Amino acid sequence: MRDAVDPFEAIKVVFFQECDELLGDLEAGLLAIESGAADGETVNAVFRAVHSVKGGAGAFGLEALVRFAHVFETLLDEIRSGRKPCDDLTVKTLLRASDVLADHVAAARGQAAPVDEARSAGLVVELEMLTHGETSAPAAETSMTVEAAVEDEFGFRPVAFSFPGLGDDPAVEAAPAGEGWRVVFRPHGQMYVNANESGLLLREMSRLGETTVSLDISAVPDLSDLVAEEGYLAWTVDLVTDAVEAAIRDVFEFVESDCDLSVTPLPAGPARVTVEPAPAPAEEFDVAALLMRAQAEVEAPVTAATPTPDPLPIAKVAPDASGVNAAVEASIAKAAAAPPANNVTPASPAATAAPLAPAAVTIRVDLDRVDRLINVVGELVIQQAMVAQRVVESGLARSSGISVGLEDLELLTREIQDSVMAIRAQPVKSVFQRMPRLAREVGEMTGKRVRLITAGEDTEVDKTVVERLAEPITHMLRNAIDHGLETPSERIAAGKPAEGTVRLAALHRSGRIVIEISDDGRGINRERVRAIAVSRGLIAEDAVLTDDEVDNLIFLPGFSTAEVVSDVSGRGVGMDVVRRSIQALGGRITIASNPGKGSTFTLSLPLTLAVLDGMVVTAAEQTLVAPLTAIVESLTPRPQDIHHVGGHDAVIRFRDEFVPLIDVALGMGFREVPILPETGVAVVIETESGQRAALLFDAIQGQRQVVIKSLETNYQQVDGVAAATILGDGRVALILDCDSIVASSRKKTAIRPELVRPDVHRPDFKFAS
Amino acid sequence: MTKTVLTIDDSRTMRDMLMMALVEAGYRVIQAVDGIDGLETLTAEGADVIITDINMPRLDGFGVIEGVRADPNHRATPVLVLTTESDAAKKQRARDAGATGWIVKPFDPVKLVDAVRRVAA
Repeated sequence: MRDAVDPFEAIKVVFFQECDELLGDLEAGLLAIESGAADGETVNAVFRAVHSVKGGAGAFGLEALVRFAHVFETLLDEIRSGRKPCDDLTVKTLLRASDVLADHVAAARGQAAPVDEARSAGLVVELEMLTHGETSAPAAETSMTVEAAVEDEFGFRPVAFSFPGLGDDPAVEAAPAGEGWRVVFRPHGQMYVNANESGLLLREMSRLGETTVSLDISAVPDLSDLVAEEGYLAWTVDLVTDAVEAAIRDVFEFVESDCDLSVTPLPAGPARVTVEPAPAPAEEFDVAALLMRAQAEVEAPVTAATPTPDPLPIAKVAPDASGVNAAVEASIAKAAAAPPANNVTPASPAATAAPLAPAAVTIRVDLDRVDRLINVVGELVIQQAMVAQRVVESGLARSSGISVGLEDLELLTREIQDSVMAIRAQPVKSVFQRMPRLAREVGEMTGKRVRLITAGEDTEVDKTVVERLAEPITHMLRNAIDHGLETPSERIAAGKPAEGTVRLAALHRSGRIVIEISDDGRGINRERVRAIAVSRGLIAEDAVLTDDEVDNLIFLPGFSTAEVVSDVSGRGVGMDVVRRSIQALGGRITIASNPGKGSTFTLSLPLTLAVLDGMVVTAAEQTLVAPLTAIVESLTPRPQDIHHVGGHDAVIRFRDEFVPLIDVALGMGFREVPILPETGVAVVIETESGQRAALLFDAIQGQRQVVIKSLETNYQQVDGVAAATILGDGRVALILDCDSIVASSRKKTAIRPELVRPDVHRPDFKFAS
Repeated sequence: MTKTVLTIDDSRTMRDMLMMALVEAGYRVIQAVDGIDGLETLTAEGADVIITDINMPRLDGFGVIEGVRADPNHRATPVLVLTTESDAAKKQRARDAGATGWIVKPFDPVKLVDAVRRVAA
């Protein structure tokens, strides 16, 4: 079976997927237990999760994983059965064990570095101590291996029964000689109740070698005394075989306690004696007939109710005599096909060997197919908008049948679009699930006590967004614990509980997903942040900033570097990195801090990357789309706000700073001569790195949601262009890549940031978001 | 005639493993994800042999055995319990409930098929 590599590997993939789910359940269950929200079923579910991981791991021979899971499971079983209490300390240990179990799974999967053996071994000892009481477990138990456990499983030590009376049968005495075993087998009624059948056991023995079977029906009572559920028959089987005794006992493994069984070596003899049955019946006896009789006895003992003092004669079955074996098979099949008491519904004839999948409420679909569907729906939306525009242009009355029908179509189209987007939507749970472990580990490393509360795990967002959320959330959570929370002693001194709380929540708000990470720590130390910003030249020493603006300084590139991390009494580890990755998703990040009370980071992200909120603008008769997330403000330039810094390069005063003014049409080669700034519209944007610039367009047409079409897959990458879209009137419009426009304009004009600084003596830093 | 094996296990991995081994050996396999599902599937489709896990949500393997034995239509259907329990008491409990036999996880596909053949005509 294991030679068939492909299906086996495929199941392995399923196993690891299942492990992910089980580990998630495990952690969720343990956290529920920790918070006191657990019931008996939670403990059972936790046990089952570890148990299933172990079961699957065993199937794939993942020994290290099995071994760890076994110890883990043993303790959980004790807890489940109420033999061990599940106190706070135990839950903490179980949580750490779940982390190590996850490491074992990852290692087995080949995804991660080998497991930290010392940590794993340490936890094994801890788990065993908890399992066996507070005292250290005996060495023998500590080193218990799975193999030993499995051995136990098989380690039935059957007590051999001997039935002296049976061996006296003349027929049995004339058993075949040579190497082999004499098996005396007398089933109890219970064996039949449990749906075992003697016929099948005899057949199994015949696979081991040549059998000579005799049936003793002497115990069958008179019909009036007969109990249908009782076992009255006994078989004596002489088996010529090389098989060891254990192999024979294996055949009877399931029925050992429901029958009298003895297995003794066959008496050696010079030659095999073919036994002639004493009251030789006229018809030929074969095993098939014998088995049918046996079967009949099992199913309806009435038919075998005639007491016969002598044992029935013997039949021989040679293992290689395929004809005989076939007869056996046939008789068994026949017997089983219509058993009076065995009303098994026969498999329907239509049913073939093809496996029947269990009823499923989910289907797996290739992502490509979903994306293709989304693409086509995007086209549909565009086409619908185009038709709508044509109808308006044709001057049809709004009450006309076409217009009304078109409105309905528009509603349907929007619904289809939403439904299709929902296919790609996934709950943020997959990301949130990883966070409790992170919180524990960071807490352990930094000596903080932390309690992580998550909310809104079921909030759904586009798959791509979910995948790309993990990193920034990880980063921010780490910061919240490392820099936001105080040490337990500091907290107690500040009159707070020793255990800090970090809350991670997801929610939908006005068509976007909002993720909040808040802590009840010390909040941002504004003095310190300000001092750092000044020392790094990010703001002037005398800059006047609001609290909010100071807090947001931590997002500036260059604000934090590794060496200040540990000194900053606030946060700020690479927050510019976080902000960049959020912006790359079309999102924004803000912070609100309350000194001494804590901070809240708020991420706001689009629900999908397939649709974009854009501002539609005109530049040299080209229609362009600027992503709304990048836009800070739009304004009509006044001549007195514009300063030329040589050549065509200009800066414009925006609030209290000067930002470069970029003529987009000129930069993209739509025209040769720049327009007068005051005849156009300046749109102030902020790049992902926090730099500002004003883009000069001819006019603004309005805001619109547009379907993003990749330019790279359909054409090629173009500088300054992020993607394309099709507008309602059918025209293709380019979606601007603001960062690259700003960057290339700098390259061309070689304006260094310091040149853009205003000459006016209010070297002020303004940060608005 | 192809024999039908009903496998009841909450682990997809286990269900797949059983499926692979049994289909290879020529059995038809139907699956259920927990005890309740298992008994419902048995009622709806029938089976020649049942293989059930012990630890499952909703209804455990003991419940399955008891349910099968209490069902006049299916009480003679062999039930093999699938277990990693090294706990002999658990096995005894399964037997008392009416289990026909057991399969120890991790199972060797050959042993699995042996066990099924030992209880299925």
